[in-house]
Amino acid sequence: VVPGETALAFYKAKNPTDKPIIGISTYNVVPFEAGQYFNKIQCFCFEEQRLNPHEEVDMPVFFYIDPEFAEDPRMAKVDLITLSYTFFEAKEGQHLPLPGYQ
Amino acid sequence: MSTAMNFSAKSFKPRPPDKGSFPLDHFGECGAFKERFMQCLRDSGFESGACRERAMAYLQCRMDRQLMANEPLEKLGFKDLVNEASEAKPGKL
Repeated sequence: VVPGETALAFYKAKNPTDKPIIGISTYNVVPFEAGQYFNKIQCFCFEEQRLNPHEEVDMPVFFYIDPEFAEDPRMAKVDLITLSYTFFEAKEGQHLPLPGYQ
Repeated sequence: MSTAMNFSAKSFKPRPPDKGSFPLDHFGECGAFKERFMQCLRDSGFESGACRERAMAYLQCRMDRQLMANEPLEKLGFKDLVNEASEAKPGKL
């Protein structure tokens, strides 16, 4: 991936159970400092997504790395950025954990 | 067991995507486009730049099937590829 160039990546999610599951996902970027340069144009995250029993779907992410990444001396040794997603099961009335949420 | 939330100053703050969320492609309508793109990635040694045309085709598939908000491809970083395509045939608005 070249900084500044838009890129597409795919994840796959499967619901192995017999019930529909409504999930919501959030993401993480390592190394931490690279996260500020990671720009998502569109993805499947932050909104509830429903997976039917045994359904398997492709989850695309369309993103780019901010070109300023190439100018940042702290990023000089970074040649691998890892994007990961965690899927939470959404429960009625519950929101993604925020500081202080019990 | 420590909580997933880290309250220190360096905690990671997820940001929502610029253009929102992709609806799920429950019926795999764009599965073929995705496969062609993935095949290209495998063939090119996962060189994203080599497969931009197929990425563009995938996004166009989504837009055609209401799985993505319509947006001119030039605005999605494909300006150079769109200009090439319109040189080959009459421009499409």
